[in-house]
Formats: sequence, C-alpha cells, structure tokens
Amino acid sequence: MATARSEHAFVDKFPDEAGVIKATFLVAFVALGIGAFFGLIQALHRTNVVRVIDSADYYTMLTGHGVLLAIVFTIFFLCGVFHWATARSLDRPAESKLFSWAWVGLMLTGTILATVAILGGLVPSLGMSADVLFTFYAPLQAHPIFYIGLAMFIVGTWLAGADWFLSYRAWRKDNADERIPLQAFMVLTTMIMWYISTLGVAVSVVFFLIPWSLGLIESVNPLLTRTLFWYFGHPIVYFWLMPAYLMWYTVLPKLAGGRLFSDPLARVVFVLFLLLSTPVGIHHQYLDPGIAEGFKFIAMTNTMFLLLPSLLTAFTVVASVEHGARQRGGEGYLRWLGALPWRDPAFTGMALAGAMFAAGGFSGMINAGMNINYLIHNTLWVPGHFHLTVGTAVALTMMAGSYWLVPQVTGTKLYSRPIGLLQVIMWFVGMVFMSNAMHRAGLAGIPRRTAEPQYQNFEFLTPIGSIFELRVQIALGGTLLFLSVVLFLFNILLTSLGEESERPVDAYLPEPLSGPEGSPRILDNLAMWTGIAALLVVLAYTLPLAGIIQNGGGLFGGGLPVPATVSAGLDFVLMTVTSAFNTLLGVVA
Amino acid sequence: MKLTKARALVLIAFSVPIAIELRTVAGFFNVELPLIAVAVIEFLFLALLFVLYGLYGEGSNAAA
Repeated sequence: MATARSEHAFVDKFPDEAGVIKATFLVAFVALGIGAFFGLIQALHRTNVVRVIDSADYYTMLTGHGVLLAIVFTIFFLCGVFHWATARSLDRPAESKLFSWAWVGLMLTGTILATVAILGGLVPSLGMSADVLFTFYAPLQAHPIFYIGLAMFIVGTWLAGADWFLSYRAWRKDNADERIPLQAFMVLTTMIMWYISTLGVAVSVVFFLIPWSLGLIESVNPLLTRTLFWYFGHPIVYFWLMPAYLMWYTVLPKLAGGRLFSDPLARVVFVLFLLLSTPVGIHHQYLDPGIAEGFKFIAMTNTMFLLLPSLLTAFTVVASVEHGARQRGGEGYLRWLGALPWRDPAFTGMALAGAMFAAGGFSGMINAGMNINYLIHNTLWVPGHFHLTVGTAVALTMMAGSYWLVPQVTGTKLYSRPIGLLQVIMWFVGMVFMSNAMHRAGLAGIPRRTAEPQYQNFEFLTPIGSIFELRVQIALGGTLLFLSVVLFLFNILLTSLGEESERPVDAYLPEPLSGPEGSPRILDNLAMWTGIAALLVVLAYTLPLAGIIQNGGGLFGGGLPVPATVSAGLDFVLMTVTSAFNTLLGVVA
Repeated sequence: MKLTKARALVLIAFSVPIAIELRTVAGFFNVELPLIAVAVIEFLFLALLFVLYGLYGEGSNAAA
C-alpha cells in the first residue's frame, strides 16, 4: 500500500518531516482546545450570562486565551506548514532530523513553562502568576518562568527558521540558477521579517523583564518595554497571516479547480510585507504619552502602505479562484461563484476566512487612523478587529487547511467532510455574531480588557438596538465558536486515528498561470531585501527610542540603570556613612 | 444549477451578517427596524431556501 501511495503522499516521501509536522500540529491543536475553552468562559462571564469564575481569575483566563491561541496555536501550526512547504517546494528533506526536533523541543518546553506560569494564577497558594495578558509589557509583571518560557519559545522559532534556511542553502548549491520555488520564497521572506521583528521583544524580555521579575533590577522604563513589544507586536500579525497567505496563494486556487493567477505578484506581496510590516508598531501607541506626534504620524502613513499588499492579495486570490470556477464550468459575472467546490470544507473554510478578512481589513484601517483610533482605542472594538483577522482569517484558514494538510502527513483520509463543512460554517456564523457585537460595543464606548465592563451611574447607549442584544450576540458567538472547535478537534482526532489510505488527498499543486520567469530576478535577492527592511526599521525607530530613553528616565525608568542588589548595597553604604558623619558631628559639637 | 446542501449552508451563513446589519442599513434611510422584524425576515429567507431546496435540491429532478 505504501508503495502505491508513495508517488502522492507527503508522509511517504518525507517521513521524518511528516513526524515533525504532526508534532507541531498536535501541540497547536491542544493549545487551540484549551484556549477556546478559556474564550468560552470569558465570553459568558463578561456578558454576565454564566459566571463560573471569580472576576479576578478572568485575567488569568484572558492571558491564557491570548497566549495559547495567538502565540502557541498559530505559531506551532505555522511551523508545521512552513516545514511542509519547505520540504515540498524544495523537494528535499531537512538537513538534520535532530536539529528539527531540537527546535520543536525548545518551543514546547518554552510553551509548557509559560503555560504553567499562567495557570499558576488559578492556584494562589503556588505564589506564581502571569496575569499580564497577551501584551506582556510593564508595568504588569509576571513570574520569571513566564518570560523565560517565552524567550525559549522565540529562540525555538529562530532555530526553526535556521532549519529552513539550511534547506534552502543546500538546495541553492544544487540549483544555482533556479528561481526560488514560490512556497520556499514565502517561508524565507516571512522568517526574515520574523528575525528582524523579534529582536525587539527579545531585548525587552532578556534585558528588562526577566531581570525585573527576578528582582535583579528595581524598575524598568514602561514606555520602552511597550515600544519594544509593539515593535514585535504588529509584525507578529503578519507572522500569523503569512502562512494563511501561503495557503490562499498556493493551495486555495488548486482546491477551487484552477491555478494561481500570478507568481510574480505573490512574490512582490511577500517582499512588501517584509519591508513594511515592522516599521509600523508605534501605531499601537497613539495614546501613549512620551512619543512625539510626528513619529506617530509616520507610523500611520507606513501602516496605510500595508494596505497595498493586502489589496494585491485580494485581487490575485479572487482572480485565481474565479479562474478555478470557470475551469469547472462556471459562467457569468457572479454565477461562477456557484461552480466552486463548496462541499469541500478546506475550500469553503479558506474562502469564508478570506471574506471575513476583508471586513477585518476595513476595521484595521479605522485602528490605523490616528484621529479615529482615539475613539475606539481602549474599547471592545479592538478585540472585535483581531477576532476577524487572527481569529478568523488566520485561525479559520489554519483549521480549513488542516482538512487538506493533515491527511498528507498522517496518510489517512479526512474522517468527515460534512462535519468539516458544518464546523467552518459554524465558525463563520459564530464570529459574525461575536465580532459584529464587539465592534458595535466598542463604538458605544464599552472598554476592553476588563471582567466588569459596567460602571455605576452610567449607561452605554447604542444608536441601533440595545446593549443587551450585543451581550447576547457575544455570548452566542462565543458558544458557537467553542462548539466549532470541538467539532474540529473531533474530526481531526478521528482522521489521525483512521486507517491508512492509498490516496489520502490529492496533494498535487499546479503551476501558476503566470510563472516566476515573468518576475525580475531581483525579487529573489533576499540579502538586499533584508538590508532595506533593516534600514527602514532604523529610520522609523532610532529617534523615537532615543526620545523614550532620554525622556523616560533612562533604560530602566528610575534614573541610572543600577541593579537592585547593587542599589541596596549603595543605600547601606550611604546610610552608614551618613550615620557615621552625624555621629562625628555630634561628638564635635 | 442544483442547490446542494453545501451551497444552502453557505447561503445561510452569508444571510446572518446581512440580517444583523439590516437595521443599520434601514437606519441610513431613517427606518427603525425592530429586532423582531429582522428575525421574521431571516425566518422567511430560511423558509424560501427550504422551498427552493425542495424544488431544485440534490434529490429533485428539476434543474435550473
């Protein structure tokens, strides 16, 4: 059976890589299940429908929800996708199996440490907590093992990237004049962006947050850690999105029955994301004092440039899907939509995710505008936005893509396409309810990041409908989303436990309509794009960071960067000298 | 074109955001649409879809 299958199945061609991918997917899906459960508890608690936890524990749940879904689920899954895409497109296994498992192990260890620190918040007797939310900057402080776990996780992703670059280097030796295969190009440009952007959070965690949480330094400069966080905190959005884009560009057209419209356009889009996604993080800090308005304005204009690659993507992917529909007999201006393979949960899920991403893009433009941002900044609008982007465009694409990818790495057929279809539809409907209500609640001024959104002697007003309706929508949406995750995990579990199949899935990806030969070779010059991306970061961040350090009390906030232990010693010496001096004065007098 | 279960499900999914935002659109024209009206409209849409599925669905002989 395996011999008959080996022409088609990834698992037979690259068994070691399939093992690594299965492990990353397993961790991702466990994190998805736990994170979704925390999300359900929060949705019911905040809307006052069912309260099973103390409000103080809400923040533990919120941190767990954010970290497990936005960091662990997404990044473990994307590591699996990138490992698959690199081996598949370069048509070669990783250079070292041991090295691949090393980064999986490091990321997993980091995840366990961070999760233990977060869950420790539910057991007060442990004296350990990390209720710092997904945005883990000062002044909120977590237990040191939370930061140490995150640092290990980030280093693990760096090693994963190194794994794929080593594969590329080996491929390049054998294919000196070839264009980089499209999927490998997407992986490499995304990882360059990740290396550049994670430098900020690495500096923040290693030099400030870990020493601060260990008590080695007394204080940190909160604005500096916030800025370093957002230096990474916006590009991570594109780190989530790029694997979704990879699947929209290279898998979705095939599922639609066609071919990618333009390979060169896809390369341009990924290069643009590499260049533009990092120098924009200050747009998360429009309301932060201590950063000059001019720098915020520059961040805003840079952010607006990011619309270009997203709009190019919308055009290319829709054109590719339309081409697929017409290959299947679709006709007319819009009737071709009916010819698409809506029975296939992988296609339907990705298509619905793309449709919702358009809505998320529009609310993102609102967030990016300095003046409008002031209205919605600390309201429920913002979670509404990122539940459309990372919560749907990314998460739904990953779940839908799993229906096509998991059979390739397990060698088994998808357990149930109807359950898969119901699951992706349920996610779409649940997210419509939840994100719509969150956006509306944000416009009414309801705050985010709080277990108790109500104020005494104050009533939130909506222009249409009531606050009660919005609460019901959020609770209903959250419940549907959780049930959708349960269906997904059930389907994937039974898929992986199923019997091996001769042809688990049609894994062939057709060539694009317009191939790489139509794009300028300079697009493949990764060193040059890295240099330009780094230069843009230097231009965007040097002056703001200098200002923050100069005006915010130095690197460590409280003045001179003196470690706490040294400071205590100095205090002792000073007190002793003062005391001796006073005694001497007394004797003299 | 046959109305398959999958197509019907996708149509139902897209009807949800349209129903939710119906009151906003009506508000642009100074029409205050009560929640119950939206529920009735959505119910009528689902009933119509059910009828169409009976007429042109996977099990029917009629072809569009």
